[in-house]
Amino acid sequence: MVGNELITGVTPTLDDSLPRRMADFPTLTEALDYAAKGKRGVNFFSGRGDLVEALTWAEVREKAVALAKKLTAMGFERGDRIALIAQTSADFVVFFLGCQYASVLPVPLPLPTSFGGKDGYINQLNGQMKSCEATGVMAPAFMQDMVEQASTDVDLRFSGALSDYMAYAGDGDLALPSPDDLSYLQYSSGSTRFPHGVAVTHRSLLSNTRGMGEHGVQMRDDDRCVSWLPFYHDMGLVGTFLTTVTSQCSVDFIPTEEYARRPLTWLRIMSANRGTITYSPTFGFDICTRRASLRANAMDDLDLSSVRVAGIGGDMIRPDVMRAFADTFAKVGFSENAFLPSYGLAECTLGVSFGEVGKGISIERVEEARLAGERHILVNGAAHEPRYREVVNCGRPLPEYEVEIRDEDDAVVDGGVVGRVFVRGTSVMAGYFNDPETTKAVLSEDRWLDTGDMGFLKDGDLFIVGRAKDLIIVNGRNHWPQDIEWAAEQLPGVKNGDVAAISVPGENAEEVPMILAQFGVRDASERARFVDDMKKHIQRETGINCIIELVPPRSLPRTSSGKLSRSKARIQYLSGRLQALAS
Amino acid sequence: MTSEATLAKICDLIEPINKKGVPLTADTTFAADLELDSLTVMGLVADIEDEFDILLPINLLPELETIGQVADAVDRIVADKN
Repeated sequence: MVGNELITGVTPTLDDSLPRRMADFPTLTEALDYAAKGKRGVNFFSGRGDLVEALTWAEVREKAVALAKKLTAMGFERGDRIALIAQTSADFVVFFLGCQYASVLPVPLPLPTSFGGKDGYINQLNGQMKSCEATGVMAPAFMQDMVEQASTDVDLRFSGALSDYMAYAGDGDLALPSPDDLSYLQYSSGSTRFPHGVAVTHRSLLSNTRGMGEHGVQMRDDDRCVSWLPFYHDMGLVGTFLTTVTSQCSVDFIPTEEYARRPLTWLRIMSANRGTITYSPTFGFDICTRRASLRANAMDDLDLSSVRVAGIGGDMIRPDVMRAFADTFAKVGFSENAFLPSYGLAECTLGVSFGEVGKGISIERVEEARLAGERHILVNGAAHEPRYREVVNCGRPLPEYEVEIRDEDDAVVDGGVVGRVFVRGTSVMAGYFNDPETTKAVLSEDRWLDTGDMGFLKDGDLFIVGRAKDLIIVNGRNHWPQDIEWAAEQLPGVKNGDVAAISVPGENAEEVPMILAQFGVRDASERARFVDDMKKHIQRETGINCIIELVPPRSLPRTSSGKLSRSKARIQYLSGRLQALAS
Repeated sequence: MTSEATLAKICDLIEPINKKGVPLTADTTFAADLELDSLTVMGLVADIEDEFDILLPINLLPELETIGQVADAVDRIVADKN
């Protein structure tokens, strides 16, 4: 029987004692109350594949309730925000759920992930804490120094690790939430300089986790989830953590930074624990394929025949990369039919549409010229022969949603015409926290959300072709062009409007960030120095490596109101009409 | 192990991912000179950890801008361990 040969000490996959309920609870606390009656739970592994901690949902609940009593005793009130540095650990899970029993809103914030960039990271944390007006911080002990530097001008009631909160003397009463209360805030999208947190209610959360479990992955009794996705990202937080707790599934987590160091551990744990469901952006599969090609013993101990859902989401799905993964791991039992393309965004809690389970990736070849919308992308401007692009079918919208494709005049289009994707449903966010203006820009009064993505519907299936907004995505992380431009404009001699941050297709269909900078000096060495300075400065401020292209003064295109038009600049650059000069 | 030897060893580990062929010195920066993205960096961290049989704590990473700073940190961690 499946479940008998798991890694020693983990929570079981199967649990006959508790009938599965698919997230049909009014609030997250009631969902955990139910999960706590069973034997399943949450497990944490090291990058080397050793079990670090295993907790049943019952043990999680016990600690969460104890924490909630501390929070209310400390004076945290309903609706207060506590920033959580989102380490992949039992402490995070306990704290996030503990906040729910006190009706305090946890706000997951990222860990550092790379060499260098300390100042940029601290500024980012500081901006997010201020934006949500956090009055508490929970961070693992090793992060306390950086948290202190990030919160010098933030008025905190308390800051510490979970154990510091638990050590507080005295217990208050629980403050249980109602379905329309907010449950948490999420900063997985948006500008780092002007952050806005997506505010999610219990009702939205439960509606979305139910839809994803029941219709998206069609969860079965013998399912077990394995994930390396970070908790500060919607796919990690909602997809692999909150969906598993609300449907009483056992889940195995590998910390993101350890996964990045040793990606094949992800596959090893799936093999050892007979994992059935996992999720990743395209690049997560790519990194495994590349690592396996470098390691002679990469396939040892791998058996991926149990994986029935290898979900793909988070950024544009690249069919070539997915094929390479399937080809590489077919010999250890991986079936390409397990691929499950999906589409979602934090503003919809997480999931919007899912492909058909067990059918793999299906593709439409679409003429580039048809992928119109705001972006008439005709790379190279070649008019004589049509260029085609493979577009992945992201499947059916979950039953709760209405989906519309609209043209530039906000009129609904159909018949496979490309336009902006609008959705309406229970999972759509309440709004951006404390930011009615940004909310109004994307969410209409009758609750239609402008996703900012371009796509089309065909026979009821949703196809995403790109973004209408100018967002730049590098390795699954969203970057706002405004942030990159702002960094560039800090250099002497660069004025607002002199630079445009865009993304251009790289060699392997990935996106490459690029700065188009107006620069009039002709001296070659001065040009080279300018490019080098700008590159390094942007790197320091934002952590992004940009290609810098110098263009003549006053050559960047403007809108009719005189604003810089990034989309026009991008099209002109790609079509060769905007000529970069040698630097 | 002296810092020079550590530095040389780390440079050896970087060479395969030094796609731009940047000259590797103690002052070479990971982000601006080598232009490594964060995932490549994490692969390198794993290689360094295996090579020296240590753990590089994640909170240390943001402060390490150059190869020399990483070599110093590795030496410190190795010394603390012994």
